[in-house]
Amino acid sequence: MQASRARLFKEYKEVQREKVTDPDIQLVCDDSNIFKWTALIKGPSETPFEGGVFQLAFSVPEQYPLQPPQVRFLTKIFHPNVHFKTGEICLDILKNAWSPAWTLQSVCRAIIALMAHPEPDSPLNCDSGVTSQWQGCTPGLQPCPRRDKFHNLLSP
Amino acid sequence: MQQQSAIQAEEAEKIPFVGDKEPLSSLAAEYKAGGSPVLLEKIKILSEQYAAIRRTRGDGNCFFRSFMFAYLEHILESQDRAEVDRVRANVEECRRTLQKLGYPEFTFEDFFALFLEQLESVIQGSEASISDEELVKRSRDQSVSDYVVMFFRFVTSGEIRKRSEFFEPFILGLTSASVEQFCKSAVEPMGEESDHVHITALSDALGVPIRVVYLDRSSCDNGSVSVNHHDFTPVAGNNNSGGSEAVNPFITLLYRPGHYDILYPK
Repeated sequence: MQASRARLFKEYKEVQREKVTDPDIQLVCDDSNIFKWTALIKGPSETPFEGGVFQLAFSVPEQYPLQPPQVRFLTKIFHPNVHFKTGEICLDILKNAWSPAWTLQSVCRAIIALMAHPEPDSPLNCDSGVTSQWQGCTPGLQPCPRRDKFHNLLSP
Repeated sequence: MQQQSAIQAEEAEKIPFVGDKEPLSSLAAEYKAGGSPVLLEKIKILSEQYAAIRRTRGDGNCFFRSFMFAYLEHILESQDRAEVDRVRANVEECRRTLQKLGYPEFTFEDFFALFLEQLESVIQGSEASISDEELVKRSRDQSVSDYVVMFFRFVTSGEIRKRSEFFEPFILGLTSASVEQFCKSAVEPMGEESDHVHITALSDALGVPIRVVYLDRSSCDNGSVSVNHHDFTPVAGNNNSGGSEAVNPFITLLYRPGHYDILYPK
């Protein structure tokens, strides 16, 4: 508990320093609880998510950084590796491949990378996975025509 | 997949991170019921040279956990101040390696600090000194034990990435991953099992020789049985490894396919 608090405090200080260097990520710690964070990340360019801002919720366990933070999308997102209802994210570094070398900030970067390059083999949103197969290409990499489709699916 | 790892975790928790020292006969007892004759023969040969075994939990961290305990116990028993100073210098070198590789200091410094604290505490004569019982207790305490294991994982990863040209062919023999991917997926995460690559890197980085004794069902073509071992000897010229002459490893581990335990010579 003490160790995780100390580590999170270091991350907090680092985040203050990094704000300028990474304009795509805005990571904020809850005022009263250092184990709760939220992040606003910018949708990567040349993907259906370009121009969007997505909110993530972090819940950090007491065994952090030996155990990964729990992260989910608060903003609804249509993506093969994100559960459409719960916002749960299927990403190896948030599970088995986690290590203390990762930080909350670098997790945000990894999630942005996942938005641009989905992993169709581990879908949490099967419709989106099927969509990508049916279209015969990796979702997110073809901008305009696809984007309309995504928007249609997002607002039924 | 998830169920499988849950079952493994449950099984693993039946023994502590680091067990008690047991006579080598307990190893033979394990194979008495329907065991292979080759194994029993090999254990007999082992018992000529080795007196005891200390088991570690099979949670994927067994190599690092065995190394941690065997190393700290050796310092506790030998009170070898020169070895402590030597290894400290290498730990500082590992710190610089990680810095140069671009790891933010705050991601690894707590793990380094905790290892150095343990190293200092096994040297007797200060207020922080600990007994061998306390060393066993700490090795079973997750908040110490897992932090030290993680320290070794950082050191191992740093060494592999620093000498990526050397390690690359060995890694290509294990997986199709790049050196960096290998470190990210098979070295740094807790619970990832260790291979030759990990042992070589850790031994080189800290300049500590390690003997691994192999116990498996293999035998020679002519039916004769012998027990093989391999000494991981730190490369000369890399860090402070105390020279290139044949060193006698003070750490001996028993390898059975998929698992490491600690062996005690007679």
